[in-house]
Amino acid sequence: MASKLAINKPGSFMLLNGDEAVARGAIESGIKVAAAYPGTPSTEILEAIAEVAKPLGIYAEWSVNEIVAVEVAAGASMTGVRSIVSMKHVGLNVAADAAMTLAYTGVVGGLVIVVCDDPAMHSSQNEQDSRYFAVHSNIPLLDAGSPQEAYDMTREAFEISEKLSLPVIVRLTTRVAHSKARVKIGEFLKLTRKAEFDKDQSKWVMVPLNAMRQHHVLKSRLAEAEKIANKSNYNVFENNHKKIGIIGSGVGYYYAKSLLSSKKFSWLKLGFMYPFPYELVRQFASKLEKIIVVEELRPYIEENLRGLDVEILGKKELQLDEIGEFNPDLLREAFSKIGLCDKLPSRNIDLTLPPRPPVLCPGCPHRAFYYALNTVNQFVQCNPQKCISCDICELECSWEKEQVFNPYKSRIRAVRLDPLSNMALSCRLCKDAPCVTACPKEALSQLSTTGVIHVEESKCDGCGWCITACKYGAVTLHPQTRKAIVCDTCEGKPKCVETCPEGALSFSGRTEDKIVTGDIGCYTLGYLQPLNSVQTCLCMGAGISQAAGMFHAGVKEKVFAVIGDSTFFHGGMPGLLNITYNKADVCVVILDNRVVAMTGHQPTPGSGKNAMGEDAKIMKLDEICRSLGVEKVKNIDPYDVDGTRKVLQEILDYDGPSVVISERPCPLKIPKNSAREVTEKCNSCGICVTAFGCPAISLKSERAEIDVTLCWGCGVCQALCPFNAIRSIE
Amino acid sequence: MALDLIFTGVGGQGVVVLSDIFCEAAMLDGFDVAKAEIHGMAQRGGSISAHVRVGDKVLSPLIETGKADLIIGFEILETARSLSMLRPKGTVLVNTKYIPPNSITQGNAKPVKPEELLALIRSYARRVHEVDGIGIAQKLGNLLVVNTVLLGAVSALPENPVKQDSFKQAITSRLKEKYVTLNLEAFELGRQSVSLS
Repeated sequence: MASKLAINKPGSFMLLNGDEAVARGAIESGIKVAAAYPGTPSTEILEAIAEVAKPLGIYAEWSVNEIVAVEVAAGASMTGVRSIVSMKHVGLNVAADAAMTLAYTGVVGGLVIVVCDDPAMHSSQNEQDSRYFAVHSNIPLLDAGSPQEAYDMTREAFEISEKLSLPVIVRLTTRVAHSKARVKIGEFLKLTRKAEFDKDQSKWVMVPLNAMRQHHVLKSRLAEAEKIANKSNYNVFENNHKKIGIIGSGVGYYYAKSLLSSKKFSWLKLGFMYPFPYELVRQFASKLEKIIVVEELRPYIEENLRGLDVEILGKKELQLDEIGEFNPDLLREAFSKIGLCDKLPSRNIDLTLPPRPPVLCPGCPHRAFYYALNTVNQFVQCNPQKCISCDICELECSWEKEQVFNPYKSRIRAVRLDPLSNMALSCRLCKDAPCVTACPKEALSQLSTTGVIHVEESKCDGCGWCITACKYGAVTLHPQTRKAIVCDTCEGKPKCVETCPEGALSFSGRTEDKIVTGDIGCYTLGYLQPLNSVQTCLCMGAGISQAAGMFHAGVKEKVFAVIGDSTFFHGGMPGLLNITYNKADVCVVILDNRVVAMTGHQPTPGSGKNAMGEDAKIMKLDEICRSLGVEKVKNIDPYDVDGTRKVLQEILDYDGPSVVISERPCPLKIPKNSAREVTEKCNSCGICVTAFGCPAISLKSERAEIDVTLCWGCGVCQALCPFNAIRSIE
Repeated sequence: MALDLIFTGVGGQGVVVLSDIFCEAAMLDGFDVAKAEIHGMAQRGGSISAHVRVGDKVLSPLIETGKADLIIGFEILETARSLSMLRPKGTVLVNTKYIPPNSITQGNAKPVKPEELLALIRSYARRVHEVDGIGIAQKLGNLLVVNTVLLGAVSALPENPVKQDSFKQAITSRLKEKYVTLNLEAFELGRQSVSLS
């Protein structure tokens, strides 16, 4: 099945999604160059082309970002060959600078820009309506409503592009791109063009003088385009001589057609969307009393109908939102309100069920990294709502440290805050600990790796200044030796936490000393429970520069900017250079899984492979970061949670730009390791579930349980379990 | 002839692939098909469903709520979640595997028992076929053939308009040669697992 798109059987049917249909249309049109950056729901376009590229003599690439992709396609088109570039809607923003002026220069070989909008934001950060980008940029746009249309329009778009010497946008929405349908295919065009660039054309040089001329040229080409739109096969007119007409676009038009009896209305499906086919629409409206407009997102068609002498029922009248996507239910509701169809009877059965939000996969290295980040600077914390001041922690501590049961020898203190609440206090491992500063004898010091306070007994004379300096009451004097005593976290596995019968104590990290900005990728899911690590997500590469902005604004916290490897290549590198140039004390964390994971494992410049599966130079992230001016660059293995914490601790104490590269391949790309199981040592403390949050682990009444069909065998849960209750299944 | 089906499960279980094979088989029999699926934020672990419409002429890919003829569930909770899609006299085929969602394991939602969910499914659908896909796959020594077991089960339902041979052809053309025999065996066991008494 590998290369069905290469099969040359004109007139036959294939099961294709909208993206694959575009790819097939482009391949048949004789493209020479295809470029894209992955982005749901557009990814499969280039994927499908790349799969068959070599044998068909096509060059296909994953560009590092969308503007690069547009420029690559533009360069190819300037030499006279056909090219295609594809992206999701937000990618078109990245590419906008090139696209806007490309409309002025125009093209030679047909150039099709495919953009996939995502109404309802199934996998996006906003829901733009790219039809307005066409208006903004003066680039003609065809709007597909089904995979068949996506195929047909792509073929047509190449013809229009060459006829007008303009790039042409083919727009899909998620429900077209990711719907599969039977598509009737055609034959491969045999183009025998040689790439030749005409150096003597002033139109390629957009200095003001030339650009002004080209702007006029563009406007005259648009007038030509409008004539084509008025006669286009994609603006289909079905006049049933009725009083009510329906104008629609995209998949919404077909929902409407399925819901409403065809014969009762006149229909107009608009596919050639910009320039708007005014002449055709006027003709359609001439004998109508009412026009109902069915279009997702913004009221583009509706706005263009203003001035017609006919009643328009649009967004407001149908009570249809500009937000989200259409579906048959929503349209039935809207149509039933104006009496066009009936409501369906509903069944009154309560189907409220627990939701299943997206999660990081079992074995995901991002989870392990976030867990380490969340637990840097761990200290024993107490939940006053659970603490009953039973004092068992004090007894446990004195027994652990001195083999006696004596609360005065404990490093943790249970105190009554008020008649209703209790709390246990111990060392909070403050940054620049005041107790250390206060000590006149230099007996106290702080370990740089864990933040634990060390008391040099030979130097301590029991003056007690450290006790006064600690605002948490965490330092005390030993009743016999008269030396200062303080919690040492039992080397990271505090006994008090293990024995607290109320589950009031936990060994958790400090959140108040850091801000974590996020970015676009699987790792954005670190925002969700239980990790709650990430606090921002704006657009590709934004986290790094937002972090810089926060630093320059003067936040007191250390700012970490978390970004994936591919996103770093795409939009993070200028931000990092900006950080080093403008001296921002920010730590950029690159989660390097060597792949664009979320969109389905496309290669990145770090993968060592290109889109067509050829070997490629492996771009080394640490070398790039150093060359961008970062002096402190650390590589870590996120599965080594302790090691990661140590590095992060070091970074917290470091002043200046720094980079941490967290290296682990996406587990879905590598074979499963042997699964883990939970032993009887488990006391259901729940860390593996409520703090780590691996979806393969669930808490049963007695102990945690690992689903072997889901477990990827990363072993991180085993390493972080305080009770050594997880082992590998041999 | 027209048939509307919902395939549903948890991301990673193979909902997309199985619904693809169903469509390909239907096309071999000359049917028009349309199918909608959503690839979400994560590769694995979230809810996923695919709408599949088979008929002489299919206009759009989404099925209206309360109009699906058949639900094919890979997982119990997700099957229950999609019940509102089912028409009053619809049929459910469910793989009796329960994967607790993270909302429950994290303690953010009240736990549900798989038996309760099955009871809900039985009360809602006119006919429910429960298939122990994992059990059958284990017998064949490969957990990855659960999907093919389910496809075999679907093929045996009276609602299914697609010929058995077309399914087999679709499976064969999609898989590497070394997996074909195993999967055809799984398909057969799946067929047998459905009792139509």
